[in-house]
Amino acid sequence: MTLLTAAEDVQIPLLSAMLLGGCFAKLVRVLQTRTVIAALGPTVLFPLHMRRPAAIFLCATEFGLGIGLIVTAGRLGRGAPASAVRVLVAILFVVATCALLELRNTRPDLGCGCFGEFSTAPVSSRSLARSALLAVAALATIDLAPLQPPGAGTAAATMLGILAAELALIGALSPELGEGLVRLGYTEPCELRLLPAERTLAALRKSSQWRRYAGIITADAPADLWRELCWRYVVFPGRCRDRDAEIIFAVYLKQRRPPIRAAVIDSATGEVLPWPLPGRPGRGPQPVPRPAAPGRSAAATGSAAAAAPRVRSSSLPFSSDL
Amino acid sequence: MLDVRGRCTCCDRCASTSTAARVARRRVLKAAVFRPEDGPASGSPSPGSGGLPEPGELPRTIMGRIVDVSPHILVVSHGGTETRLTLTADAAAWRGGQVDPAGLFPGDLAVVRLQPSQRSVADRIWANIGRVTGTIIERNGKTLVVNAGRTRNTEVVLVPSRAASRIQVRFPNLEPGYLIDVIGLRREDCLEALVPATSQPAYRVSRLPAPPLVSGHVPDAISGSATWHEPSGEPYGLLGVSYPALDPDAGCAEEPPEGPVPGFARMPYLSVGSLLLIRNDCTATSCVLPVTGCAPVARLFNDRCLTCGTSPRGRVADLSLGSFVALGGELERGCFNATITIGR
Repeated sequence: MTLLTAAEDVQIPLLSAMLLGGCFAKLVRVLQTRTVIAALGPTVLFPLHMRRPAAIFLCATEFGLGIGLIVTAGRLGRGAPASAVRVLVAILFVVATCALLELRNTRPDLGCGCFGEFSTAPVSSRSLARSALLAVAALATIDLAPLQPPGAGTAAATMLGILAAELALIGALSPELGEGLVRLGYTEPCELRLLPAERTLAALRKSSQWRRYAGIITADAPADLWRELCWRYVVFPGRCRDRDAEIIFAVYLKQRRPPIRAAVIDSATGEVLPWPLPGRPGRGPQPVPRPAAPGRSAAATGSAAAAAPRVRSSSLPFSSDL
Repeated sequence: MLDVRGRCTCCDRCASTSTAARVARRRVLKAAVFRPEDGPASGSPSPGSGGLPEPGELPRTIMGRIVDVSPHILVVSHGGTETRLTLTADAAAWRGGQVDPAGLFPGDLAVVRLQPSQRSVADRIWANIGRVTGTIIERNGKTLVVNAGRTRNTEVVLVPSRAASRIQVRFPNLEPGYLIDVIGLRREDCLEALVPATSQPAYRVSRLPAPPLVSGHVPDAISGSATWHEPSGEPYGLLGVSYPALDPDAGCAEEPPEGPVPGFARMPYLSVGSLLLIRNDCTATSCVLPVTGCAPVARLFNDRCLTCGTSPRGRVADLSLGSFVALGGELERGCFNATITIGR
């Protein structure tokens, strides 16, 4: 077996796998969204009323040709049937390459749809090169003799080597591969993690930072609470050195023992007040936080809102004369 | 039960003066808690820190009703104040299509972008422009009834025969349950749709595709499509952005009753007051803007912006009209390719 013959023999199973893979990926996409329109891909180039039949026809063609390649690979369909299937496969990939070129020009925002939801990236040179490569591979199989099982030893190793090299090449030309790998390794980053505010407050109240500042906090409920990326900010009203103050905690959004930062600022001036006071122990027994007086809820206290007008108006992102 | 939801909502699109003050206050508090250990004691962030452009450096916008127009002068009135603007030969206008500025009519509602160097010279004028983005809930011939969000009125969209084919090319499914986003002329009781603002997603709102699953931290800069919305209830001249991924605990009143749907663009959770550096990738203009509201309708779209090249899928910002124009966006295009960077 020469290297060229081995390379030609590899193309039949490879093309069949690509066709059946594309067909099944589209089917999965259709089943997930329960609409054929989701598997359109290049069929958006057709007039509106022809898109659905075109999508179904493409999927059925891929399935039929994929099975046909396998069935006619051996002695069963030798001669005209095998050649016909392989010519049709070559035509399919040549047309697909042209369709992708057209799609890139007319609808650059659309993916090729070759492998369902994995093929959402806009058509790129890589997608075009892959389609052209498969067209060439299909053309190379037209006059191929019936496939024989590879013998042991060098012949089998040669075929496996060629198959691996071609798969690597197709992988490098496939934007879908990156999408698949990303999905396999999915873990939710903290910026996207949903963590209820109640849990953040519970974690805060168990922390040493809370115990350090609890003595100067004057309300049970926070005056303001918001989230940014991996941090949730909680603001409590308080009194420090006989001045109205705000105690802000930044709590990292983590299930257990989240890192917490804190600061005390003067409500009137926005100045950061040092706490604990110099010479005063930072840990140890702290005064028990006073329960909020009736009616002194977050809304009633409203320290952030009350202090807000004191912020320099020039820092506000509003324009009075737009 | 935590009682902060009511104070963090954006049911009024976060546009009141108290909300503006809260935006600024949160900046001060955040700067205080993350100040360097040996840094300055003041919690106030230094303006313009990081070399970021300030809103004042951007071309400005005037909105109001046209009082008088001649080949060389445009007079716009807003709140009892009249502004006279010079029209040069370079000035362009839109009123359902490109028109000569002198062809605008007194009484038209105008959005005017001023030339960056001369504040008294009009650069671009849009007259009676409107936009409807939402879900079609009813169709009656050429008229569509659109749900534009929980805190907005139901919109009526008229698709005239002259624009029907243009709109149908990009919105093939003008049926209940599908999304629509069109730009046109604002009439008394409806919007006369003239331009499709995007391509219609293939799915029904009830069958949104699953967002892409990805691992690792969200990148600092996120690219996508930046759109604009009409100032329904927003104060005049607001520079802000409605963000599609507001913290669910913020209790955004515009969210659907069944809870927030996952957006297509992978965006970190933020809150009202968070700062975004928004860059118009088409004009290289950028500005730091605060999040002033949530944009649940924007999350329903997985479209791309094609104003200059092809943006990644998903809407990353729904800008106030003033912000969109100030950042160099062309209103009739509906979007610009944008990159947002979260202020840290």
